[in-house]
Amino acid sequence: MEILDKERRVYVLGGGISKFAAERTDANMRDWINEATLEALEDSGCKIQDIEHTTTSYFSDHFDKQLKAGAIFHDNIGMCPKPNVRVEGGGGTGGLAIRNAYAYIKAGLCDSMIVIGAENMGRHVPSDVAQQFIALASDTDWEVQVAGFYIAYYALMMNAHMEKYGTTEEQFAKVSVKNHRNAMSNPKAHYPMDITVDDVMNSKMITYPYKLLDNCLLSDGAACIVFATEEWAKKHSTTWEKKPTIEVTGTGCGTDYMRLADRPYPEPGIMHFRGKQEGARQAYEMAGVKDPMKEFDCFEVHDAYSGVELVSYEDLGFCKPGESGKLMDQGVFDIGGELPTNTSGGLIGFGHPVGATGLAQGIEVLRQLRQEVDPVRQVELNNKRGGMDSHGGTGTFCAINIFERRD
Amino acid sequence: MGTELISNLLEIYTAEDPMAFAHPDGDPWADFREVMRVEWKVDFTYKHVLGKYSKFFIELANHKFLTTECPNCGKVWGIPRPLCSDCMTITKWKELPGTGTMVSYSISNFVPAFMKVETPYVLAMVKMDGADTLFTHQLRNYGDIENIKMNMPVKVAYATEPVVHPMLLMHFEPA
Repeated sequence: MEILDKERRVYVLGGGISKFAAERTDANMRDWINEATLEALEDSGCKIQDIEHTTTSYFSDHFDKQLKAGAIFHDNIGMCPKPNVRVEGGGGTGGLAIRNAYAYIKAGLCDSMIVIGAENMGRHVPSDVAQQFIALASDTDWEVQVAGFYIAYYALMMNAHMEKYGTTEEQFAKVSVKNHRNAMSNPKAHYPMDITVDDVMNSKMITYPYKLLDNCLLSDGAACIVFATEEWAKKHSTTWEKKPTIEVTGTGCGTDYMRLADRPYPEPGIMHFRGKQEGARQAYEMAGVKDPMKEFDCFEVHDAYSGVELVSYEDLGFCKPGESGKLMDQGVFDIGGELPTNTSGGLIGFGHPVGATGLAQGIEVLRQLRQEVDPVRQVELNNKRGGMDSHGGTGTFCAINIFERRD
Repeated sequence: MGTELISNLLEIYTAEDPMAFAHPDGDPWADFREVMRVEWKVDFTYKHVLGKYSKFFIELANHKFLTTECPNCGKVWGIPRPLCSDCMTITKWKELPGTGTMVSYSISNFVPAFMKVETPYVLAMVKMDGADTLFTHQLRNYGDIENIKMNMPVKVAYATEPVVHPMLLMHFEPA
């Protein structure tokens, strides 16, 4: 892999996020896309008439009973007859969509793109039906029929991690406490909450070792980001000169077998995200990152379950395998710590409307780097670099993207 | 009103602005806060083909646990694959003894809608004897929950009652 055209760079002009909530009974998916797009256009100082391309980011065709929803999102914001492409990779959809925007602009297929992502995860169906829909994103012949579903898969992955490294339930409960707390300064968050480790430990056991508060949320919501080249931005963005310049400097993608059972055993086995290790390696190489723990100011990590965040720290190279629990105990990942993670609240506190989630991560990093977030959760900019990690399945699709501030 | 003509109408209501915090000068969507909710029932039945691994399910009915072995690289997949994805060679069927080691598990008190399982239930990852990768199924008949241990030996057991899917012709039990 070699980036041939080093002069052609891709910038993040602005983003918009709708309110994330358990159920947005005031509106539906296309309305949330409208809300997020209006905010993204204002933030980026662009007119939709000038933007050349969309990428649609959504995961499930079941939740909204609407195939080809991207066509609706795209025409809703007045983009016809311009081009559109859909990206889908389960929970990693939004991260992959950011990568797609980078690739399309870098390749010269367009000079500007708006990525539009949404998911209706809400209570149009009961939660056991929602879990069934999500389970269909595992192997329906071999895993779903034996009552496999995502909490159970992740629980047995974490159980293996606990067995091998001695990671404790209290250590991953701290992830839930941190992310719910971080969400308290995010007005668009689904589930801001001031809780303790005991609250997590005493919440209802869903699948050992995961309790209710270890799980991320089924949220309704949308998020949109505008990307462009410098030349395009100078011509079409009224805010280009006024706001800090944020560049996409790294992107990586990795994958693994759909079924946990097929992954090379015993190493890396079922407790680590091999695809995340691979995606991070690519993204760090591209951005020239050698020591991620020291070279990022913030990182949005895919906390589908609290333990997933810990394992992801290891697979993203923040620490050695098995060390994440200890670092969590030391507060390394808190705001004010060495590497604050999920300052937005993450999937656990901010919410997880799947197609919007990776984009919302990107917008959090964008706003952190511009120093625009609530001071309560603003990180110090020592490196002017932030990362985001988004994955689908049990780490089946992993996308790692890096933004940097240029000034 | 006429709304009584709508057979699937659930409700009509006035929604609040969920982003009032962002709209200090008033709700920009004020004209669009009247909302209708309807019921939509969907019921599909599929005629699903189990493809080139169908023989696994056919032989389960004969109380045989089959998998595939790659004639080129020798890899034995826990879950059969008609094509070895390590070396892209067409594999051969191979019978395994049906014993193995449970390398991880989870215990669920919750089950998604269409799965007919009594809770709590145990989802087990098993390293099958004679295979290089794992197999996923439920562990049953473990007695007391305290008996469930990491790395415990398990064996394939076969169904004696009618099942709703061929995958349920088997499960794991302590060996």
